[in-house]
Amino acid sequence: MTTDSIWKNYQADRAFDEMLTAQSQPRPICETLSDYLQTLGVDAIKGRRSAADAAILEMGITFTVYNEKGNIDRAWPFDIIPRLIEFQEWKRIEAGLKQRLKALNCFINDIYNEQAIIKDGLIPADLIESSGNFRKECVGINPKFGTWANICGSDLVRGGDGVVYVLEDNLRVPSGVSYMIENRVITKRVFPELLQNLNVMPVDAYPSQLFEMLSSLSSNDNPQIAVLTPGIYNSAYFEHAFLAQQMGVELVEGGDLIVNDDDCVYMRTIRGLEKVDVIYRRIDDLFLDPEVFHKDSMLGVKGLMRAWKAGNVALANAPGAGVADDKVVYAYVPQMIRYYLNEEPILPNVPTYLCSDDEQRAYVLAHLSELVVKPANESGGYGMLIGTQATQKELKQFRKLIQTNPRNYIAQPTLALSTCPTLCNDKIEPRHIDLRPFILQGENSFVTAGGLTRVALRKGSLVVNSSQGGGSKDTWIINMEQ
Amino acid sequence: MLSRSAERLYWLARYLERTENTARLVSATMNLIYDLPYGVEVSWNNLLTIYGVEEAFYQRFKNPSEQNIIRFLIAEPSNSSSLLSSLLAARENIRTSRELMPDEAWEQVNEMYLYATNNLENLSSRRGRVVFLQEIMRGCQRFTGFMAGAMSRNDSYRFICLGRNIERADMTTRIMDFGTVLLAENRSQTMREHESMLWINVLKSLSALLMYRKQVRQRIKGQDVLDFLLKNPDFSGAVAHCVQEISGCINKLPNSTALLPQLDTLEQNLLTVNIAETTPLQLRQILDTLQADFNTLHQRIAETWFLNHLSA
Repeated sequence: MTTDSIWKNYQADRAFDEMLTAQSQPRPICETLSDYLQTLGVDAIKGRRSAADAAILEMGITFTVYNEKGNIDRAWPFDIIPRLIEFQEWKRIEAGLKQRLKALNCFINDIYNEQAIIKDGLIPADLIESSGNFRKECVGINPKFGTWANICGSDLVRGGDGVVYVLEDNLRVPSGVSYMIENRVITKRVFPELLQNLNVMPVDAYPSQLFEMLSSLSSNDNPQIAVLTPGIYNSAYFEHAFLAQQMGVELVEGGDLIVNDDDCVYMRTIRGLEKVDVIYRRIDDLFLDPEVFHKDSMLGVKGLMRAWKAGNVALANAPGAGVADDKVVYAYVPQMIRYYLNEEPILPNVPTYLCSDDEQRAYVLAHLSELVVKPANESGGYGMLIGTQATQKELKQFRKLIQTNPRNYIAQPTLALSTCPTLCNDKIEPRHIDLRPFILQGENSFVTAGGLTRVALRKGSLVVNSSQGGGSKDTWIINMEQ
Repeated sequence: MLSRSAERLYWLARYLERTENTARLVSATMNLIYDLPYGVEVSWNNLLTIYGVEEAFYQRFKNPSEQNIIRFLIAEPSNSSSLLSSLLAARENIRTSRELMPDEAWEQVNEMYLYATNNLENLSSRRGRVVFLQEIMRGCQRFTGFMAGAMSRNDSYRFICLGRNIERADMTTRIMDFGTVLLAENRSQTMREHESMLWINVLKSLSALLMYRKQVRQRIKGQDVLDFLLKNPDFSGAVAHCVQEISGCINKLPNSTALLPQLDTLEQNLLTVNIAETTPLQLRQILDTLQADFNTLHQRIAETWFLNHLSA
């Protein structure tokens, strides 16, 4: 007796599907996974999903969502079917990500020092001056190795043409890496037989690499490192605690730290004050130091900027690094790579229209219903317009927003994000995904093996953010040659 | 170690100890009351007295029935010393201290919390209650066992040990307080007839029966039980033993000199007690003094090591 293929009713729309070819055949790297799922059958796969859900609850993998009732810890939304990427393709992406972060760091260092790129006419001066993330307090500072963005989470998407594009670079306080690691822990519990038979790159080296990178930022051989969290009510608190635990460093809140008259940072311990050399801060710039930024910030540490400027503490990411985390600046990254590194970009940008440019704005306004419009400075998928799915009212509202504040908006063509088979209720259906790898740069550069695959769980949706109903998948970099 | 972390671990241990104590105390009371004839002056109300929550109980319930009292002591969210409130507080403290302990420590507490919240409806039947309380006691013991096996004897461990022993000593003195009722001059005839059974249950509520028997090889008498619970240096639930443990931790922690006089006072107060020559009324006063001493000790610990008490 032959059973039907589990892919029989699986209909990928026009998007590129990561598992199946246009002829509905498993791609070569996915054959083993496809056979395995076929052998299990949908009912057994659902059984594994229940096991995964139970593991997530027991391990307490949560993220916090805010609503009118207060803060609620939600179980991490995880889809058990992994997303696979071929090793050779990944090698190229990895090189492209390192190249990109290197250029971005050259750019930030240049902007706060010589501003050669402006003097040479590649980037208009007013673009920087009008950026909400440019910090004049940082002018003239020279962090170690010239690296300002030490931790970067870049969002990658695969378009309908099969090409992987960089959608944005998150250089402020990108999150998600703990979930990448925990997703693998769950997969090992759920599909142990499968992982054993495939050559999948491990993902758990990240905390050690992060530790090594943070250590390299200090001149001290045996530096005291701390993760600075806004506190237990922050949506990413789980991750802050996770990383501190995995690295074996202290997890501190603003109230645990103090800057003394010697401009050094100390933490309050049971032995008295102890000096801190490196801070991995997960607090936004403007809340870091009430002496310099928001006066009423309860999260930060008074005098932290003084200590940083005096070179007594390293901050990762450096304050002001967000100047390159701006969707208008993003449009210039390919030029930065050529300008600073004298190399051709390995990874392409998504074509981007700058509303600050008269000609480009005219095009955007005329094609609004086909484009995706994004504010330059938001993250988390907030304040976006997806033209193809917008109402007339929303289109009108954005037309007005763009005309009032053109510098604050960019537009991009609507990408058909690639899809991946996802267990939805009772059957396997295609859902759109992206990928957030994490890149580290200090004395050396590291890239995670894969990253966090985010999936839009609602049918047809392109929004993958966990704060807006997105889920996640384990990501397997598969080496077929060994 | 951060002052904030020290405080969280200390409270984690106190709340977990309280969770386990409540489970054991309710279990032991259930066993006792099912054995006793009607008319004895021991009832579910005694549990409210031990916890000092009579007022709060009557604000919430009219009838001090078995069902209501158990619900109040185990599952009532408005009762801050209920088992569930303690477990919730313990979970919150360990959730925010995960960087100090192996993952399994957190998972133990989290699993227990999931079990408790998913099985609250079992409390309405007596059979379900027994299973529920047993599972909670086991969960607490798994945690303690895991910590004994996997934690370095570092400052983190010492704050956990401090919290546990202060809470434990507090509970022992509360149960002894209850015991003084059993010694009252005007106790009823039925009560006198069931005396040894009552004392056996006092010991059981502290898991002390076997250890007591090994130590005191005589018929079980109230005075001996109280003496054992107060002054035995070897039994883990005895007040004297808890003080030893506390003293051991404090002596190994930094900047502890300010605490040493308070520890001396406690030890002296304990040593001078002679149960055989003490009336029940005097004993109650002694126990009140001891509880106040532990309270002061807690204050000193907070002032010395915890964040809110540190000046810049």
